[in-house]
Order: sequence, then structure tokens, then C-alpha cells
Amino acid sequence: MPVIQFKEALRAAMIEEMERDENVFLLGEEVGEYNGAYKVSEGMLARFGPRRVLDTPISEAAFTGLGIGAAMCGLRPIVELMSWSFSLVCFDQLANNAANIRYMSGGQFKIPIVFRGGNGIAHQLGATHSHRVDALFSRVPGLTVVAPSCPYDAKGLLKSAIRSDDPVIFLESEVMLNDRGEVPDEPYTLPIGRAYVRREGSDVTFICWSKMVKLCMAAAEKLQSEEGISAEVIDLRTLRPLDEDTLVSSIRKTNRCVVVDEDWPYCGMGAGIVERLYRRVFDDLDAPIGRVCCEDVPVPYNHYLERAMQPSVPKVIAAAREVCYV
Amino acid sequence: MGAASDVQNRPGAKMASSSKGKVERRRLWMMMLIRRFEERTYQEYTKRGFEDPSGEVVKRIGGFCHLYSGQEAVAVGIAAVFEPKRDYLVNGYRDHGHALALGMSPNAAMAELFGRVTGCSRGKGGSMHFFQAEVGNMGGHGIVGGQIPLGVGMAFAAWYRKTGGVSFTLFGDGALNQGTFNESMNLASLWKLPCLFICENNGLAMGTQVHRSSAETDLAKRGAGYAMPCRNVDGNDLNEVIAAVQEAAGRARAGEGPSFLVMNTYRFRGHSMSDPQKYRTREDLERARQRDPILLYERYLREQGLLEDGAVDQMDNEISQIVNEAVKFSEQSPHPDLRELYEHVLSEVYPLEK
Repeated sequence: MPVIQFKEALRAAMIEEMERDENVFLLGEEVGEYNGAYKVSEGMLARFGPRRVLDTPISEAAFTGLGIGAAMCGLRPIVELMSWSFSLVCFDQLANNAANIRYMSGGQFKIPIVFRGGNGIAHQLGATHSHRVDALFSRVPGLTVVAPSCPYDAKGLLKSAIRSDDPVIFLESEVMLNDRGEVPDEPYTLPIGRAYVRREGSDVTFICWSKMVKLCMAAAEKLQSEEGISAEVIDLRTLRPLDEDTLVSSIRKTNRCVVVDEDWPYCGMGAGIVERLYRRVFDDLDAPIGRVCCEDVPVPYNHYLERAMQPSVPKVIAAAREVCYV
Repeated sequence: MGAASDVQNRPGAKMASSSKGKVERRRLWMMMLIRRFEERTYQEYTKRGFEDPSGEVVKRIGGFCHLYSGQEAVAVGIAAVFEPKRDYLVNGYRDHGHALALGMSPNAAMAELFGRVTGCSRGKGGSMHFFQAEVGNMGGHGIVGGQIPLGVGMAFAAWYRKTGGVSFTLFGDGALNQGTFNESMNLASLWKLPCLFICENNGLAMGTQVHRSSAETDLAKRGAGYAMPCRNVDGNDLNEVIAAVQEAAGRARAGEGPSFLVMNTYRFRGHSMSDPQKYRTREDLERARQRDPILLYERYLREQGLLEDGAVDQMDNEISQIVNEAVKFSEQSPHPDLRELYEHVLSEVYPLEK
């Protein structure tokens, strides 16, 4: 199977869907002539022309809202946000317009639109450019939130997101764009709303998504080889709607669980997931659900401080040991 | 669809009979309908609510409610130019008048205010969120200026599909001070999209007069930096509104890009139902009423010999009955079933495989 980069997988998904459906188009800052701030859309302007690959001014509210208005008319925009941190200046468009218009019109409109871009902490970008928006959008009814962890998932999930008739928040990560992985040449899609058991295990369940998956896989290998603890790693793939059933059946098997995420601890994404799970697995647990997340501070610039702020393999191992009482 | 359309009510619609002045009289009729609908809404809003079996009193009309009385010429003038098969209209929250002018039945409009399932948004939108997709009414929107980018997107869709359609993007004078106004005007002009930016300047952003909210009080000048035609229009003069909208829509349809029209008008009621209106005097209001758009247009029709004696009274009676019927229809309509709570959140069923 061919091995390609994460960004190439995203590009392949967009190209295939744009070739399949004339209503699909791409817009955002620097997606065209610049070939993408992170080269995700490289070559797409040359391929599809300026009608379907559009460079926007630095006007997030205008171009996200433009996409929503066009989607109300039946087009299927892909809107690239250079960084999800910038979605804070157009939060009204996403949380009010994209999420609510179907509901408050009594179902008269579909909003088939994908908003995609880099989410979370990259490297030394400072507090303003390092936001994790997972929980901000996953708490909003009307939105679907997807966060792939590898090139194969990125392609299959992005294709499904583009085909969805609902607004999809698609969370990538700047530091994963060069990751490589096997992606078949043949077209495929992956289901939205289903988690994936990335590693089977019997002693503890790790719940993670996006770039935390690699971290959890490394921690699981280490726990197995050094301590004989067998960790099951579940990659959520979709944050909303949450695939509770897959999580619950894993916890009923392992009786122990650690939720690993890059968000802040208080009211963060992990906190929301833990709340959902407790109601269903309270009696199955041998220990309180563990959490590994970011420290409760703004994201610092300094390399060492920034690293200390984030989840790490040792932090995940420590949390696993704690819930396993070893 | 609950929002039963009444397309032949549209002021611009071709009448079966071509008798002289029929289209014009229909426009007067529509302005009168909007006025009567709004004034009745005021009454219904302030009446005692319904006592349900548990003894709880539920308001007949709840929430925020912004009345359009005084600004009718703008909505009716736009509707005269609007082509429902290819045009779009998107609006702020003072949206009852435009919905009626584009052909929404008064029953569906009033029932929405009453929160009933027969309302234009199934009772889930309320006063600020009237939608009627089938005629291109893309909704009233509750956040000041939040709808302006949507309007640019509708213009984009018309451009992308080469339909010749126009997006009528409406907002009030308060919205000029939102960032979305700057972003949207620039983007639409940059891409030469068929977007008509129409500011309904009633002089008041809630309770803040234009001179207290805008450094430039000639609001048409606020569009000067976006390389598009900008002009002030007498928003109380229906003929002037139609002429200005017609011209700007023609430019947009011809691929010449957006325009910015400031419709200078006045609202006779408060910002919303809870507004003590301390920002104006009785004299201000009386002066404004001298330029009531309905009186001005009625006078024009008489001068042109298009209005017979007694015609207005006859229209008034007819409209009274229609509005009475809308209230009765709303009172008798059911509330949405509680199952509706979870309907229309998403289009798809998850897990989604496509």
C-alpha cells in the first residue's frame, strides 16, 4: 500500500470529492496562489482554477459566514482555517449560524459544510495560536466534530465529512501534517460517529484522539514491555457525536480507564467525556477514571515550559499506574 | 411545509387582470397588511397569556419582538424587485414585514409568534427567526450583523451557479458598527458578487441615535472604502425605494458587483416590546408620522388617479379580517409535540456512512 503524508491524504480527499461533485469548492486564507499556508492544498488552484479554489482576505467571520450562506443554497464548501485558534474571531458564525439555522428554521435548511484546519498546540506559537477548540465546538448541538489521528483516517473521514449534510468541524494538527502512513489508492470513506480500537488490551482503556493517539500508543508499548500492563487504546475519531458504546464495552472489559487529551482540565473535552462515561460505567470501575490533560495555564512560548504544559508519555504511564494501583 | 406560501400576494407578482394601477394598489395593500399585522402583534403581545391546565400562564407571544411599523416601504419596495426563483433575502431580527412582503401567509407568520407548530419555523424560531426557504427568504437572524456574511455566501452561490440571482442582504444602522459589515462589504466587492447591501437606517440602534454610534452620520459614506456604488435613499418613499433597488439589482445581475443602499426611514414603535422610548419626544414621533410611508404612497396613488374613493376602507376591512383570522388560526394551532425538541438538530443519522 502506498505510504503518504497526512497533508497529502487531506489533499487527496478534497481532490476526489471536488472531482466527484461540482458543488464542492475550497476557500480560505492562502489556499490558492500560496498553495496553502501548510501546503495542504498544494496544486489545487492549478487543478481546479480560481472559481473553485478561492483565496480570501484575512476576514474569518466573512469567509466562514460566506460558506454557511452558500451551503444554505446547496453548495458544499470546504473552508480552511489557517489555525483553529482564529475561529475565536468567527465563533458567532460557527456556533450561531452553522449550528442553529437548521433547527430554528424548523428543518428548512441543510448546512453541508466542512471547516478544517490545524488545532491545538504546535510548537512555540504562544498562547494566542495554540488553542484547543475541541470542547468549544463539541458542546454545541448541530455541529459534528471529527479529529483524525493518521493519514488513513484523515482521508476517509474528510471524504465522509464533505459528503455529510451537516456542518462538520474537522480538527487537524500542524505537527501531524508530515506524519506518514499507509493509504490505499482505491477510494474509501470512514464512518463519522464511530470510535476505533487501535490497540487491544485487557488491563486499562486509554481514550484519546488526534495527536494524543501516538502518545498513548507509545505509552501502551512501554507499559507492556516494562510493567506487563496491557492497555487498550481507543481512537475516538469523532468527538461529537461520541461513540459511547465502544468506550463503555472496553471499560466493562478492562475496568480501568484514562482519558488523555490536550485540552485544559476544567470543562475541557476530557471532562465532558468522563461525565458521559461515569453514568454508564460507575459500577464497572475498579478505580476512578484517570485524566491526563494540559496544565491549567495559558500556553507558554518557552520550549521547556510548553513541553511541561502538555501531556507526555511519562504522564500517561503515571496515570495508568495510578488507576491500576501499581 | 407549515409555511403555506401565498406567492400571489407578493407586490411584484403579475396580476391576472392588468387593470390600471392594480400592481400599485397591491403594494399599498401589502404595506397596510404589514402595519396591521404589527399593530395586532403589539396588542397580542401585551394581552394576558393562556392559562394552561397546570395553572401556569404562558404568554401569547413571548421573547423579544421587534416591530416594523413605519419602515414598510423598504420591505415592499425590495419585494417588488425580488425574483423568488433565483434571489435570496437575508435579514436581521426585525423581520416580520419582509416575510409578509415575500409572500408568507399571515397565518404562518402569526402562528410562529405564538410558538405554534403551524408557524413558519414550526414554533422553533420565534419573532427573530422567520424563514421561508421556498421563496428564498433565508431568514431573520438574531445577532446584529451576524447575517451579513451569510448574504455574501448567497450571492456567491448565485455567482457560482450563474443564475443571475441577487442576494438582498439587509441590516440596520446599528450593524454598520460590527466587524462583519467591513469584512463582508470588502469581500463581496473584491469578488464582484451580486450582493445588495441594504441598510435600513431607522436612526436608532436600540436606543442609541446614529450621531452617538457612528462617527460619520451620513451613513452612505460608510461604504466609501469598498469600491462600490453607495447612496442614500428616502426609505419612506416606495417609488424611490423601488427605483434604487431596481437599479442596483440590475447592476448585480449584469455582473457589475455589489451596491450599498441606505434606506433612511423611521420606526414608529420602540426597539422591542420593553422599550420606554426615552430617547425621543412625542413631537419627534408626530413629525415622523407626517412622513408615514403608507400615507405618502396613498397620496401618490390618489394624485395619479389610481385610487378610487372608498378603496382604502375596503382594503382595510379585508386586511382586518385576514389578521383576525391569523390570530384565530394561531390560537387554535397546536404547540409542537415534545418529540420536536430533538428534531431538526442534524440532517444526518449517526454513525454516518456515505
